[in-house]
Amino acid sequence: MIIIGEKINATIPKVRVIIRQRDKEALLELTKRQATAGADYIDINVGTGVGSQEDEIRAMQWAVQTIQREVDTALCIDSADPAVLEAALDARNGRPTLINSTKAEKSSLEKVVPLAKSYNVPLVALSMDETGVPSSVEDRIRACKNIARVCEKYGVLLESVFFDPLVLPISTDVNQGLVTLYTLMKVKETLPMAKTIVGLSNISYGLPARARLNTAFLQMAIFTGLDATIMDPLDKELMDAVKTAYVLLGKDRHCRGYIRAFRGG
Amino acid sequence: MHEQELIEKIAFNVVQGRIEAEDEGFDEGLDGQPAVTELLREALERGLDPRPIVIEGLSKGMEVVGGKFQREEYLIPDMLASAECVGAAMDILSPHLTKAGVESRGKFVIATVAGDLHDIGKNIVSIMLKGAGYEVIDLGADVPTERIVKAVSEYQASFLGLSALLTTTMRVMGEVIEELQKAGLREDIKVLVGGAPTSEGFAKQIGADAYCKDAFQAIDVLKNMSSG
Repeated sequence: MIIIGEKINATIPKVRVIIRQRDKEALLELTKRQATAGADYIDINVGTGVGSQEDEIRAMQWAVQTIQREVDTALCIDSADPAVLEAALDARNGRPTLINSTKAEKSSLEKVVPLAKSYNVPLVALSMDETGVPSSVEDRIRACKNIARVCEKYGVLLESVFFDPLVLPISTDVNQGLVTLYTLMKVKETLPMAKTIVGLSNISYGLPARARLNTAFLQMAIFTGLDATIMDPLDKELMDAVKTAYVLLGKDRHCRGYIRAFRGG
Repeated sequence: MHEQELIEKIAFNVVQGRIEAEDEGFDEGLDGQPAVTELLREALERGLDPRPIVIEGLSKGMEVVGGKFQREEYLIPDMLASAECVGAAMDILSPHLTKAGVESRGKFVIATVAGDLHDIGKNIVSIMLKGAGYEVIDLGADVPTERIVKAVSEYQASFLGLSALLTTTMRVMGEVIEELQKAGLREDIKVLVGGAPTSEGFAKQIGADAYCKDAFQAIDVLKNMSSG
């Protein structure tokens, strides 16, 4: 499982302050803790929503350069603005990087997919289009297929595309867990070379004991063949849930990973 | 069953969020007992006036739900179950209300503004307003400003609800108000705004008539508008 650490996100008030004040120590601390906990990529989202595009570009350049000087972990550059993504790709010194993300919307696809091609980096693709997040499996798969077509056009291999079927809260529509799981399965079936990814925590919005739901849902998603997840790597319950699902699904030869983690427990 | 008792039972089942007899409620052990649909049918067969059913049954029930939601005794699914009950009840009652000469409380156009695809909060407000007796015209999410203005004019709506969940899109609300002004429609419509990044201060700043923290507050605000 590829773990993408979600904690550097400017929609979180504390992180917004770190970005605004260019607090190098705090940024590195947040990065290092996630890397030590086992994150394969560090997500960087500096969009505070209030400033200009210029502000977001400068903040992204600062974050990328600050992190790559001190930490070896790969980066996941997170913005809805292709110009910010491009600035981030230019700011890095050849560090492996994942683009997060494009939507199945023409204006986004035609700018972001060429970036993945010319910088030769993988990319996250969201199964949403002009109309929002489709509520049915069929419509989400249609969005994924549209993305796959554009990738083919620009010569981006599906091996390096992580399709995100998106997760909506079950508190407002109890079928949404299933919609995400079936979409994950269907992506693997119709686009077998493609990778899959989910951001978990939205599933439990508005409900009590959220950790329970997040863990169970992650394990179900792993059963469908999930390749990557955007999550909090400092959440030990979740990290343990990954190891447990892996051994149960025969993905952990001789139970090595499981035993190493829980021997004596 | 006495008429008053029947209406109270309807209110009770709205609070419990039970549409049909087979439904479970918020409390345990209610499945199998008549719920909103069955009780309404009985009331209509007996020739009860639909107006007190709406006011004392549905609206009172939702008021109780609002209180429970504010006290965090009820969570989002509990509230939605109750709102669905009111929606189902209104479907059954509408023809009877029309026959009795009862008009809707007004036309309410609602939309999430351009560039913003978040619609969960907007949908909740939409369901609740229908339940409260408004004629709701839901334009969906990421709705261009021109389309909102056009809908307000075409439907001759009395109220407009605007939603945004992003700090980048909330300013579009101000643009909508400006365009309404330019089109000469601003005087005739009350504009209500809501969504995570918005606030009382923001609503004032862009010249909206009200900020609504949630669906229940929206209903309160509307009540005060029509009485004031």
